[in-house]
Amino acid sequence: MEETQNIDVTKNPEGEDAIESTKQKQPEEVEHHCDEQQKQSQCEEDELRKLLLSDIGELPLSPPSAIQVNFVSYFITGFTKPGHDQYIYRHANGLCVIGLAPTHIAFKDQGGITNIDFNVGKSDRSVLKVSGKRKKNAMRSESNTALCKVSTANDSYIVRCCVKGSLLEVNERLIKQPQLLNSSADREGYIAIIMPRPADWTKNKESLITLEEYKEKKQDILLEPCLL
Amino acid sequence: MSDETKPASGDSSGLLNGLLTGGAEKPQRVNEAARSLDPSAVKDLLSLGVCERCILRLITVATFDSDLATVSSSTLRGWLGSGEEEAASPEMSICIVCLGVLQFVFSDDKQTLVKMKSDCGSGHAAWITDLVKQQGHEFDSFCLEVSLPSTISENERAVLLYLKGKYSNEAWLQSEKVSVKDALKVLVLDPLRASLGAKSDSSSFHIRLTYSKASDDAQGLSETTHERKKRKTDVVYADEENGSSCISENPFEKVYEPCILSVHCNQMPIFFSGRYFKYSRNVSQSRWIIDDERMGEASVEEIIGGSILPACLGDSYKFHAAGREDIDVRMLGSGRPFLIEVQNSRKCPSQQSLTEIEEKINNSEKKLVGVKDLKFIGSECWAMMREGEAEKQKQYAALVWISRPLEEEDCNSISSMIELKILQKTPIRVLHRRSPLERERTIHWMKLEKIKGNTHYFLLHLCTQAGTYIKEFVHGDLGRTTPSMGSILGCRAEIIQLDVTDVKMGDS
Repeated sequence: MEETQNIDVTKNPEGEDAIESTKQKQPEEVEHHCDEQQKQSQCEEDELRKLLLSDIGELPLSPPSAIQVNFVSYFITGFTKPGHDQYIYRHANGLCVIGLAPTHIAFKDQGGITNIDFNVGKSDRSVLKVSGKRKKNAMRSESNTALCKVSTANDSYIVRCCVKGSLLEVNERLIKQPQLLNSSADREGYIAIIMPRPADWTKNKESLITLEEYKEKKQDILLEPCLL
Repeated sequence: MSDETKPASGDSSGLLNGLLTGGAEKPQRVNEAARSLDPSAVKDLLSLGVCERCILRLITVATFDSDLATVSSSTLRGWLGSGEEEAASPEMSICIVCLGVLQFVFSDDKQTLVKMKSDCGSGHAAWITDLVKQQGHEFDSFCLEVSLPSTISENERAVLLYLKGKYSNEAWLQSEKVSVKDALKVLVLDPLRASLGAKSDSSSFHIRLTYSKASDDAQGLSETTHERKKRKTDVVYADEENGSSCISENPFEKVYEPCILSVHCNQMPIFFSGRYFKYSRNVSQSRWIIDDERMGEASVEEIIGGSILPACLGDSYKFHAAGREDIDVRMLGSGRPFLIEVQNSRKCPSQQSLTEIEEKINNSEKKLVGVKDLKFIGSECWAMMREGEAEKQKQYAALVWISRPLEEEDCNSISSMIELKILQKTPIRVLHRRSPLERERTIHWMKLEKIKGNTHYFLLHLCTQAGTYIKEFVHGDLGRTTPSMGSILGCRAEIIQLDVTDVKMGDS
């Protein structure tokens, strides 16, 4: 115990301030000071733990997900073709995440989605090089601009932007792992991120439906409501 | 001795009148200055409308320094003029060179004409002192700054050119002339020191005397600096071409209005440092207003700055912190270092008052924010801030939920991950204002703390490289941060809340 105190003494010499503080401590006082320091840091740790633990409130069995907390979910059904249902998650900062809604007909095919190809329309969307805060070189898209083509064993389906804006990013992980679309189309299987202008979004929003409306519309088809 | 004071032959005796009275007391230099005055040049300038001090400045060989400055105007008039000049006309004409600056004639900001009665600088100093005192600063040293209209130097150049033309070989023409600005400083600095009771040096407290041209002057404020500069060049070229004193514009026009003088005091910014704690999940670090609505119920910046500013009687403050946290993240542990910069403080609060401010914030009813080690800090403040930036590690405690029950092996596998490298694409929540990049970051260590009676929630303690997005590390940001807690544990993970538990800053 005394050893520790001595080490503390050498570690914490009296500072040499420009404004001389004449604190000439007696040896007993120095030891007392170190003891206090140890106590104080222990005290601070206890305080911290109290703060951390006391703030834990209700712990619901299934808390809302990050998507539910930070995004507003919109849907569009039968976009350009029947069964082509997609979601648009809009963040408070205006960015929209686009993906396949659970009722998209691609999921009905045996084996699910086996392949995705971003080379549609005039260019390969997966070789975008958007840079900088101003998002230079982002492709400007209309709502019916093709994003990609997803293929199943039987058929292939075009996925479109649904939102007019700048295409910031496509999920190129899907190229190597198309099964993400089958397992978690609403999260890691998202397809693209688009940044609409405020005016464009206001107009666009009119053709979209809310989560509630979507659920009603598709209640027969949805077998796993907790996906949402 | 009397030989030294006898006028040289050929000089008019009126010139040296002032000398003879009490001549033995005046310094040698003043005598010599008086004697060196060329009478015809003096008469010339007087008739043009140049004031006595400017004449003395421009025509003597000696430098216009504090010795010459103490010579009163009436003495000067005695040296320079004949009896007529001494019966000074009630309307003193404004000098065409210095526009009344060296005559201590000016308008105040209410457009009232001010003419100093005592004209050796002390009256002017007293007037300035009044205005300085009104602004309420506490100081023991000051730095005097003078700003004059550019036409004064143009006028001087024109007069010198004219003199060069007429008196080309005189000795007094060759010497370096003291500018009107420096002459004013010489005249006013000593009396100002006395009446303010302060030293004059390169202080952080500035007293600025700004002389500006009266607004209805033709060459006044409407002209841009560019236009004025252009015009200045034109005048000079014209003269050099002609080789005579023919000047395209007449700078010898009578001046009807003196300058407007305003006195402004400014204290250089002072800094206070400390560490802050944020106990609320509804308080932003800095003032955050979107569409006229405040986000959160308060801000750290306003709580701390708003308490310090009144104690300094300053104009405004700026808040700088070593890093930041989201509005819904608490700042606990040792606190985050910050600086408060106060503009134009009138007084510097004592350490005692700072301690009181600290206590007031810490004991406030709502306990939104806490402060520690609040103190005055000098120029080393920026080095201290930089310390907290990119190289340092940050420690956090996150409340995490997973979609499957926690197992014992999870705790072990997580604890064994040291210096884990992760790749984070710019999180979606900031992607609208930051570059889309992929950033590599390091998680130095992690520790899982189980929560009693609950297998789906736990406390994740982790220490990470500065610049790591913790929330995205937990929930994965739709797979854009890899690996994430979810991918490591093979299930879905969500972050419920986050606290910063330590911001390491060097040794402190």
